[in-house]
Amino acid sequence: MFKDLDPILHSQLRLAVMSLLISVKEAEFTFLKENTNATAGNLSVQIQKLKEVGYIEVIKQFKDNYPQTICKITSIGIKAFEEYVKNLQAYLTQK
Amino acid sequence: MEQEKKLTEQESLHLITMMINKAKESYHDTGIGAIMWGAVIAICSLVRLSEVQFEYKLPFDIYLLTLVAIIPQILLSIREKKERKVKSYDDPYLDYIWLGFGICIFLLINIINNVFGEWGSWANEYKNITGRSTSFRFSEYVAPLFLMLYGLPTFITGAACKFKPMLWGGIFCWICCIVAVYTSIKIDLLLTAASAILAWLVPGVIMEKEYRLYKKEQAHLNV
Repeated sequence: MFKDLDPILHSQLRLAVMSLLISVKEAEFTFLKENTNATAGNLSVQIQKLKEVGYIEVIKQFKDNYPQTICKITSIGIKAFEEYVKNLQAYLTQK
Repeated sequence: MEQEKKLTEQESLHLITMMINKAKESYHDTGIGAIMWGAVIAICSLVRLSEVQFEYKLPFDIYLLTLVAIIPQILLSIREKKERKVKSYDDPYLDYIWLGFGICIFLLINIINNVFGEWGSWANEYKNITGRSTSFRFSEYVAPLFLMLYGLPTFITGAACKFKPMLWGGIFCWICCIVAVYTSIKIDLLLTAASAILAWLVPGVIMEKEYRLYKKEQAHLNV
C-alpha cells in the first residue's frame, strides 16, 4: 500500500524551492527566483504556502537600505522532504 | 516554472536532483583571496631567498607585506559576504578554520621570535666558552613549522568543498614540510614559495575562472 505523496510538495515550483533549500543553510529570494526561473509573484505565493505549513522560515530584513527576503528550511520541512523522497522511491521501485 | 503543475514520480525525482545540483553549483568562491595570499607568500619567500643568496638586506622585513595584505583580505571578505545570495552549512566552519589559522600563524611568529632571542644568547655563550660556533641553526627549522600550518586549512577546505586542487595543495605543503626539515634555508624558502603557489595561487586562479564562468552563465540565463 503506497502512502499518498505530500500534496504541498508534489507541485513543481514548491518542490523546486524545497530541493534548493534542503542543500543550503539559507538562501535569498533572488537566488530562488534565478534558479527556478519563476516569476516573483508566483514564487511569493508558493513560498507563503510553504511557510504556512511550517516547512520553511521566511526572514524579512533590510540590506543596504533594500528589502531582503531570506528563506530557510525548518526541521518540519526537512522531515516532510525526506518522507516525500522516501515515498517517491517506493513508487518508483514498485513500478 | 508553473506553480501548480502536477508531476509524475519520475519528473519529481529529476527536478529534485536538478535543483540540488544547482544549489551545489552556486557555491563559488571568487578565488581572489587565495590568489592574493598565494602571491604574497610566494613573493615574500622569493625576496627573502634573494636576500640570502645575494647577501643584501632590504630596509624593512619583507614579511611585513603579510600584515598589509590583511586589510584587503578583510575588505574582500566583507564584500563577498554581502554579495553572497546563499549560505552553505560549511561556510561558518571554514571561516573559523581560516581565522584560527591566522591566529596560529601569529602565535607561531611570536614563539619563534622568543626562541630566536633565547637561542641567540645561548649560542653566544657557547661560542665564548668553546671558542667555536654551534652547528645547529634554528632558522633551518622555521619553514617546516609554517608549511605544516599552511597545509591544514588548505587540506580541510579542499576536502570540505570537494575542490581537488586545494586538497592536493594542502598535501603538497605537508610533503614540503617533511623535505624542508632536511634542507638548507635557501631550499626551504623555495619550497615555501612553491607551496604558496600550488596550495593557494593556482587553486585561486582556477576558482576565479570557474566563478567568472558561473557569473556569465547566470547573466545569460537572466537575459
